[in-house]
Amino acid sequence: MSLSRFLSQVVPIRQKLYRFAYHLLGNEEDAHDITQDVMMKVWQQQERMAELENMEAWCMRIVRNLSLDRMKSRKYRRSEDLDRAGEVAAEHQPSPHMATERQDVMNRVHTTIAELPEKYRTIIQLRDIDGYSYQEIAEILVIELSEVKVNLHRARKAVREKLQKLHVYGVQ
Amino acid sequence: MEYNKVRELLERYWEGESSLEDEVLLRSFFAVDHSDLPADLLEAQPMFRYFTEEANRELPVLPELELPPVIKMRSLDHWMKYAAIFLIAVGLGYAGRQFQLKQHRMDMVLAQKDTYDDPQKAFAVTQKALQLLAKNLNKGTTKVQKLSYFNEATEKIKAD
Repeated sequence: MSLSRFLSQVVPIRQKLYRFAYHLLGNEEDAHDITQDVMMKVWQQQERMAELENMEAWCMRIVRNLSLDRMKSRKYRRSEDLDRAGEVAAEHQPSPHMATERQDVMNRVHTTIAELPEKYRTIIQLRDIDGYSYQEIAEILVIELSEVKVNLHRARKAVREKLQKLHVYGVQ
Repeated sequence: MEYNKVRELLERYWEGESSLEDEVLLRSFFAVDHSDLPADLLEAQPMFRYFTEEANRELPVLPELELPPVIKMRSLDHWMKYAAIFLIAVGLGYAGRQFQLKQHRMDMVLAQKDTYDDPQKAFAVTQKALQLLAKNLNKGTTKVQKLSYFNEATEKIKAD
């Protein structure tokens, strides 16, 4: 891979890779480290780049693998779940009460998704938040297209059922 | 958007069969407050609002990537490379030639060198070798003599 290819195809997606790592790890500093590691790894494996069809999917796959390694190696704890309280901007809310209520609902949804198994959490992240196609998700996670749909269905069903149990209905 | 249409999209969404366009429609529908939203649609609202918030969530911008400066070599800068290749080739050729000459000289010296230091021993060995040669030569002569007798006899018969 030439430097120009690296600059035109890998460097512009750094922020996306960082976002994905952040959502997996829930920590800005670690996400930053992982993004740097990914850039190094991609550069080291530059001879493989010629045979790749989807560079972004490949980079995302490396992000996921490195993030999972980090989570395993340190018995990672997603501290983000506890730190998120108060993050939702209250300025657009008509009243403090409604803002608090809305924040509470958002936190419950966040916790529900964060408690899912990694496989389901990642697939929801990739599809519902990052907006990747089924095909791209299959390439990132190295699974069949049908498996993507099945896992997504199960993940959404799990979130739906948990939210129903928590009586999280509507937000103003 | 009509609620029935939203229900239809949601059905596909829960099944994992919705397209990205369907999901964009759902997100924009749930982003707006609907006072009279039926319960079956109300349950999906927090989730879609959460997705929209997460997608729009601003994370710190990564610092610019510092890449090592690329030193471009002009074509003239390659002369040292070519000179080195040339010198290596000349060196290898010279070494090969010297090796061949040395080998040839050694062969010549070995060819001129006597096998035996003692002249009597050398004489005895030479004599033995010549005797062996003479013996074999005699064997051949006897055979040729027999053959000539046969030829002579054949000629005589032909002449009669």
